[in-house]
Amino acid sequence: MSYLEYVIGAYAVFALYLAWDFWAPRLRLSRTRREIAARARREAARAATAAGKEPSA
Amino acid sequence: MNRLLLWFHQLGSPPVFDRFAARWTPWGFGLGLVGMAIGLYGALFVVPADYQQGDSFRILYIHVPAAWMSLMVYALMAVYAAIALIWHIKLCEVLAMACAPIGAWFTAVTLATGSIWGRPMWGTWWDWDPRLTSELVLLFLYLGVIGLNAAIEDRRAAARAAGFLAIVGVVLLPIIRYSVEWWNSLHQGATIRMFGEDAMDPSMKWPLWVMIIATKAWFVGSLLQRARADNLAREAGKDWARAAAGVEK
Repeated sequence: MSYLEYVIGAYAVFALYLAWDFWAPRLRLSRTRREIAARARREAARAATAAGKEPSA
Repeated sequence: MNRLLLWFHQLGSPPVFDRFAARWTPWGFGLGLVGMAIGLYGALFVVPADYQQGDSFRILYIHVPAAWMSLMVYALMAVYAAIALIWHIKLCEVLAMACAPIGAWFTAVTLATGSIWGRPMWGTWWDWDPRLTSELVLLFLYLGVIGLNAAIEDRRAAARAAGFLAIVGVVLLPIIRYSVEWWNSLHQGATIRMFGEDAMDPSMKWPLWVMIIATKAWFVGSLLQRARADNLAREAGKDWARAAAGVEK
């Protein structure tokens, strides 16, 4: 194949782009899920602490 | 109400969109990947080498689809931004901003592959030619939209400001498209056309069309995945988002 190094270089750029485009949003989605779960845990812990501190009647 | 119209209205609801995106993202990526595997096989192993350019012309099978996507994604981003600005549909803000990084990368791939092809064919990596320069400006516009969206803390205000920039930038699209006709350009004219005669031999054309369709399918997968993540982040405090993130009540 003529100009092989140029063809390989161009296709490598494209392959790298596809890999990044596939993984970047996937990682962001899983990070968002973790953040939501952490926020829910924090809120639950706060609510439990507040309930424990409430003066009894 | 018409069922299709009703479905379309319902799709604007964040939880409905989340379910829709979760369902169709794998199809977009899957069809895109299969299409690209077929297209690239054809491009690298089936079509004959060009009589003038040799095998370097095979770069065209990724360069042209990426270039088309760079323009199409920008136009779509501007349409979503306009809808978001006029009708204040939050999901359209999300979709418009999800378009920006995908379009920016397609533009970067277009510039990089064009440059790699240009070195052996033109004898230079870069030339301040109207087509190349206008495509570079498109990349800067994409980066401007991404930067503006990231710079403002209020997500809705950020999307509105970046969306406005996206709409203004639409003026660049016909300049890129017709730059090779309006000015003396090193870049050749259109290689293939949707309608009418084009410069490519029919035996070389099919992998290009397969790649053009496959990149669009891939884009659907990528757009849905990115929009889903952003949609979930914006709705983080809502019950449906917690359920979607696997948080038990």
